[in-house]
Amino acid sequence: MPRIDSKQSRTRGFVLTLTALVGFLLGGGVGDEARAQPKPEGEMRWALYVTISPQWFDPGEVIGVITPFWVLYAMHDALVKAMPGNLMAPSLAESWTVSADQKVYEFKLREGVKFHNGDPFTAEDVKFSFLRTKGARILRDKVNEVIVVGPHRVRFHLHEPWPDFMTFYGTLASSASWVVPKKYVEQVGVEGFKKHPIGLGPYKFVSHNPGVELVMEAYEGYWRKMPSVKRLVYKMVPEPTTRLAMLKRGEVDLAYLLDAPQAEEVRRDPTLKLAFSGGIGVFFLDFFDQWDPKSPWHDRRVRQAASYAIDRRTLSEVETLGASKPAGNIVPRTFEFALPLEPDPYDPAKAKQLLAEAGYPNGFDAGDLHAYPPYNSTTEVVGNYLGAVGIKTRIRTMERAAFFSAWATKKLRGVCMCVVAPYGNAASRMSEWVPSSGIYAYGGYPDIDALYKRQGLETDRLKRQALLHQIQQLVHERVRFAPIWDYTWPSGVGPRVEEPALMLINPYPWSAPLEDVRLKRK
Amino acid sequence: MLTYILRRLLALVPTLFFASLIVFVTVRIIPGNVIDLMLSQNDIAVGKDRAQLEAALGLDRPMHIQYFRWVGGAVRGDLGRSLWQNTPVTAQLLDRLPVTFELGLLALTVALGVALPIGVYSAIRQDTTGDYLTRSFSILMLAIPSFWLGTLVMVFPSIWWGWSPEIKYVSLGQDPLKNLGQMIVPAVILGTSLSAVTMRLTRTMMLEVLRQDYIRTAWAKGLSERPVVTRHALRNALIPVVTLIGLQAPLLIGGAVIMEQIFVIPGMGLLLLDAVGQRDYPIITGVFLILGVCVMLINLLVDLSYGTLDPRVRYRA
Repeated sequence: MPRIDSKQSRTRGFVLTLTALVGFLLGGGVGDEARAQPKPEGEMRWALYVTISPQWFDPGEVIGVITPFWVLYAMHDALVKAMPGNLMAPSLAESWTVSADQKVYEFKLREGVKFHNGDPFTAEDVKFSFLRTKGARILRDKVNEVIVVGPHRVRFHLHEPWPDFMTFYGTLASSASWVVPKKYVEQVGVEGFKKHPIGLGPYKFVSHNPGVELVMEAYEGYWRKMPSVKRLVYKMVPEPTTRLAMLKRGEVDLAYLLDAPQAEEVRRDPTLKLAFSGGIGVFFLDFFDQWDPKSPWHDRRVRQAASYAIDRRTLSEVETLGASKPAGNIVPRTFEFALPLEPDPYDPAKAKQLLAEAGYPNGFDAGDLHAYPPYNSTTEVVGNYLGAVGIKTRIRTMERAAFFSAWATKKLRGVCMCVVAPYGNAASRMSEWVPSSGIYAYGGYPDIDALYKRQGLETDRLKRQALLHQIQQLVHERVRFAPIWDYTWPSGVGPRVEEPALMLINPYPWSAPLEDVRLKRK
Repeated sequence: MLTYILRRLLALVPTLFFASLIVFVTVRIIPGNVIDLMLSQNDIAVGKDRAQLEAALGLDRPMHIQYFRWVGGAVRGDLGRSLWQNTPVTAQLLDRLPVTFELGLLALTVALGVALPIGVYSAIRQDTTGDYLTRSFSILMLAIPSFWLGTLVMVFPSIWWGWSPEIKYVSLGQDPLKNLGQMIVPAVILGTSLSAVTMRLTRTMMLEVLRQDYIRTAWAKGLSERPVVTRHALRNALIPVVTLIGLQAPLLIGGAVIMEQIFVIPGMGLLLLDAVGQRDYPIITGVFLILGVCVMLINLLVDLSYGTLDPRVRYRA
């Protein structure tokens, strides 16, 4: 055996020491980082205004928008989803590419991620989840097939180029990219899954008492970060006065969606805070009779007069404590392809002048003013503003289901104080209201219809934007609608909460991401 | 007696059949449609999806076929599945029924516990200060809607004193004391509202009975007030009161719906309220079926109680 001379020995010793030192620093650093992240502790409780449906536990069964995401953001995760600062943030997908012909979307999935039951997350789960999703049927119509390229690569092949694929797949417009474990679902079935859902989200299912509460516990293996709060409890409290009482009593830490009187009470209480969220729904006047040449509403000046008659700021002060911003467009400014338009000013003198020019110097009987349930009080105030300039309306309130049926089957007449709220981009927002083929469009303009059709086929982003801006400008100039405000509402926050995570994802109005909620540490 | 009971129970069948038919048809023809509601929450194209949704939910078949399918399932204990949640209706109702039943029973106990003593007192102390006070109380309870009272009880104590009724629901089996702690406030509100009519009828009937000859005879025999009132007068006065209780059962259930909403009690009322708003037909029909059975059974018990109160009452087969 050759002898190792002292120089070699010193060199080897130096290398070994250096290696050990580097290893110590790296290993110690990681260990320090892991030790530095405190364990989740405490319990945060929400008072929600609707009953949680077990359907929301399964992304594939979700057919509603907004409220099911209370559960999805807690228990599940998506390839791409809205996150703070990015409404189409890579999540379970690290990245994605689009083919040159815009017909193939390939996702590279995050590796090493596990479901709550320890099953590994793979591309098979993505394909399985997509094919079983019930919401956003348009996605399944546009997608030809989903191919698992590898355990962490999946490809979506479209029938034809569709510029809104990611808008529908990767945003709050649908739950199609939210993933469930294929093996587990096949084992327990859909019903079994709803009884005990398993996901990839920051919180695991603990228990669900139907109509009472949903309890979830932190999943410390969540890939993004360890949640701060150990337990989340969603309590179902349909009555706003009860939500307020529970907040004041300390039974809940967050009370969603309070009315103005309850919000005033929260404001008066020094131990509580008001938080405002919204900005997704836009209140607006829709003039159903504008398509009838015999109706006064057919005259653009009359519709413009109605818009000038409304004091949007005061209305917002009264109804939402000033939180709702006056709007000039039914497409929120935060939406992709939105054209920022200024709201019409409050000018009753101008409104009367326009009415006189249109041949109604003493006003006219405008027929019914329908209230979008449950915003009856806002509609009454709007009716009063219209009446003050001579546009006499009769407020018609309807039960929710009856209203939607009548609205969709185009049985309503007169004017509606309506709300538009679909997520997505400017195109998806306008889809059912602007083109004459839309469910809630009582008429339309052929030139706008043609433009809308063109933008749906346009794959060049800038050209598409120009088309959509043109549509919005035309809609504005023709006073197709009279936008009122971007609806923002108050919620109450209790004294134990440090970070409620409300509106971190603008314009998603609820607490998200849930791994970011925090209680004050003792 | 047994034959009478069996006959009455058999009579439930055609009654329930017609009641369920009326409910089944009514919920489907009132304005507002579950398909429109579902489509309003999604961004999909209407024409194709309406047809597919209707087919998926079984709503594309003619109404009579839907009804007979439902009846076939109901006979086997299967009341269908929720259109929104796709969960079995029977299971949901079995979870919720005991909660509403408990609330109703507590409310009825409060109603009778308030109405009977006050009604009797008011009658035997007619035209005294006590009588005027109790009658004023009953008018007040008649005038104040229970939902308004419930909202006041929920809101103002929380503002003034930082107190509000217990909201977190705990089942009777889990913790009886906590359960009663939550249920007692809505039960008192509901019961007090119901007691008004019962109290007034008790007073009226007692006054009438106390003027009868046999009561005069009882006084003449030297009996004290207590046996005259409780043993001789009250039993006869109670017959119309018991009838009223049977008639109030549906009102009790209706009031329970509001109380469950305000006090967050997961009973059938809250389920029904959600289902009506969402046009969840199987749940609505299932709830009304169960409520129909309950009301008819209550009325049967009322009829059977006549025999206890009045020995002259006999039941023929």
